Amino acid sequence: MKKSYRAIGVVAAVALAATGLVAGTSAAQAATKVLTISTDLPLQGSSFDSNDSTNKAIALYLKQVKYKAGKYTVKLKLYDNATAAKGSWDDAKCAANAQAHVANKSEVAVMGTYNSGCAKIIVPILNQAPGGAMTMISNANTNPGLTKSWNPGEPDIYYPTGVRNYGRVCTTDDVQGSAAAQFAKSVGIKSVYVLNDTQTYGQGVAQAFTTEAKKQGMTVLSSGAYGEGWDAKQTDYTALFTKIKALNPDMVYVGGIFDNNGGQLVKDKVAVLGDNTKVKLMGPDGFTGYPDLNKMPEADGMYLSFAGLSSDLLMKIDPKGAGAKFVTSYKKAYGKEPVGSYPVYGVAAVQVILAAIAKSNGTRKGVTNAIFSGSGITIPAKKSVLGKALTISTLTGDTLAKDVTIEVIKGGEETTLKAQTVK
Amino acid sequence: MAITLKKENKSKKIKATSHRKWTIGFLSAAAFIWVFYTYVLIRTPEGFQSVVQSWFPPTGLNEALVWVICALGLNIVVGYAGLLDLGFVAFWAIGGYSAGWFMSAFFHQANIHILTTANPALPGIHLSFWAVIFIGGLICAFFGIIIGAPTLRLKSDYLALVTLGFGEIIPQVFTNGENIAGFNMSNGTKGISPVDNIGVPGKALGPFDFSWKFAIFVLLTALMVFVSLRLRTGRLGRAWLAIREDELAASMMGVPLMRSKLAAYAVGAFSGGIGGVAFATHVNGVFADRFNFSISIILLAMVVLGGMGNVWGVMVGALLIAWINSTGLPAFGDLVNSTFNTSINFPSYNFLLFGGVLILMMLYKREGLIPESRLKAILHEADDATSNIGGSH
Repeated sequence: MKKSYRAIGVVAAVALAATGLVAGTSAAQAATKVLTISTDLPLQGSSFDSNDSTNKAIALYLKQVKYKAGKYTVKLKLYDNATAAKGSWDDAKCAANAQAHVANKSEVAVMGTYNSGCAKIIVPILNQAPGGAMTMISNANTNPGLTKSWNPGEPDIYYPTGVRNYGRVCTTDDVQGSAAAQFAKSVGIKSVYVLNDTQTYGQGVAQAFTTEAKKQGMTVLSSGAYGEGWDAKQTDYTALFTKIKALNPDMVYVGGIFDNNGGQLVKDKVAVLGDNTKVKLMGPDGFTGYPDLNKMPEADGMYLSFAGLSSDLLMKIDPKGAGAKFVTSYKKAYGKEPVGSYPVYGVAAVQVILAAIAKSNGTRKGVTNAIFSGSGITIPAKKSVLGKALTISTLTGDTLAKDVTIEVIKGGEETTLKAQTVK
Repeated sequence: MAITLKKENKSKKIKATSHRKWTIGFLSAAAFIWVFYTYVLIRTPEGFQSVVQSWFPPTGLNEALVWVICALGLNIVVGYAGLLDLGFVAFWAIGGYSAGWFMSAFFHQANIHILTTANPALPGIHLSFWAVIFIGGLICAFFGIIIGAPTLRLKSDYLALVTLGFGEIIPQVFTNGENIAGFNMSNGTKGISPVDNIGVPGKALGPFDFSWKFAIFVLLTALMVFVSLRLRTGRLGRAWLAIREDELAASMMGVPLMRSKLAAYAVGAFSGGIGGVAFATHVNGVFADRFNFSISIILLAMVVLGGMGNVWGVMVGALLIAWINSTGLPAFGDLVNSTFNTSINFPSYNFLLFGGVLILMMLYKREGLIPESRLKAILHEADDATSNIGGSH
């Protein structure tokens, strides 16, 4: 009996403390009603630099447009879909964020996510939002299945109401993998060994690369549709590369993300197969935007592809364009360049969202309709931070651009080699 | 002996009434929360609503209940039977994949629909949530017995190591189970999503039917509480306690070690399975990389922090830690950062805080927040020479 009283006391104390906190903060809430747009990115773990930079870039851009979208004022809210325990995106956090987006009445659209897996949880929930589907535009989800036929049932399983509400401003893995294979061919690669990190994204690019490499007449020495998987938990890949060495490939393609022990992988590749001039090494955009990788001496000469146009390519193509101007203003505001190229794409996604809000009646449904019906959304080349016109397909939500940038790591930095448009 | 037995009977009577009180307390607390979120919250000012959303979001509540269900399962193994289990995440994973297998379009080569609310046009195996709960629980119980069997001859540290291995192996099997001789068992790290909605009479629960899901999760928790409490006072529960306190003595007194231990693993695993299925419906999918070692450790911490062996202590411990993990710490961080205009990343200090609290608890309150009286008596035996260990609990 005594026990029960004590426990009730504990519960009551917690409840009291909680209400105290609630009362304390509710007084501080402002009463003005504005439309909220949000970002939903993993802000913990090794992709933090890139995503933090994306949030900063978007905050800066909103300031530049004076928080206006047509006749509406917009406000930015940041969501974190990572947990400290995992150090990367967390499924429960993604599900909780999705609910929070819908519950936040002033929120009309979401910019995110960074990981395709997280998008697969959030998109169906936003799709069923009461009062009409809520739009999410991603700057970094490259998994094709979110918008087009890929695995069985995709993409319809993500849109239970049958209405589309998801778009993206970056190109997809299939485009990127093909571009990488075409680039490999152009630098005289004859045989290639493909690895993947066994995740959705890694297998997607590896599969596209393998398919296109075969089409281009290269010899693919790895077996299977997407090559061999590397185990992110393994501490040493010497055995793997010793096996590959016997096959004598011209290039090793690593489809995956750097977070999955990519550093060790690159180190052991160089240790066994020699530096990246001897046997070339190439990775997808899951290896871009990591200062840790760029600084590794073993990464020197590694080719990278990026699903879009890299920031310095923007500067080169049109030094006076909106993209170059934005990168310059970012440098001025924060004292350094955006980390990797996703931050600029984050701003591009926000441009799409703002254009849709301007065209809409200020509701979620209105914003979704503005993007996925009628003439859809096109950001003209003059305004687009991507340096060229950005059109979102009203049918799939994909960008119509098929640009891929090829970069090479040189002297501790990602430097742009060329733009590769997929044929 | 006779005196103690008499005492035991008396205390049992008291215990039964206090159980009833507790059950009423638990259900009325749940009802209060349900009414608050379903009817009261939407009528409050928007500012208040958003504060509740950031401090106590309804989804966080449902997630916490899943943790409670799993922690109660672990409590049977660790708290009652005293078998240290460092791999409980395996059962959560198996439960989750049961939902993935039997409630989604994953096995697209099959087309089975039984009592389900899923779209009949979808391929795959679609069973009712209520059936899958039991299927998931039974599969887990089966694996619980499998892991229990080889550990029967092991004690303490060795036993912990075997369970640790089990907890590492099972998630790895799911992570790499995309191509087992050409058969896709788990879809690898891509995971299985989405899973079917929960069906209740008359409708299929969508992602926003929070209150329904809450009610269902409370019901499942209540079931686990009921099972835990009833088992504890029963023959099996007393056998577990005897094993926990002195295995050798228990076996000398005729307690069947093998049967009791296996039963502990099976019952614990069953609730892990229920939790896994519930969690899969909660996040609308199952993803292999969630099931890592830290989940087992957090669950163990919930049991230890709350009060090993005490159902209500474990529940409070689980709710508290789950809340801190998911929303408490980030929300607190936001409050501090906005008040003092700082930019400290509070969630990244999660484990530091966690470790600190655990050390403090071990130093000053070893028996947990709401201790089990029996355990408390043992731990404080030295403090009070006159304490009666075997007596009241």
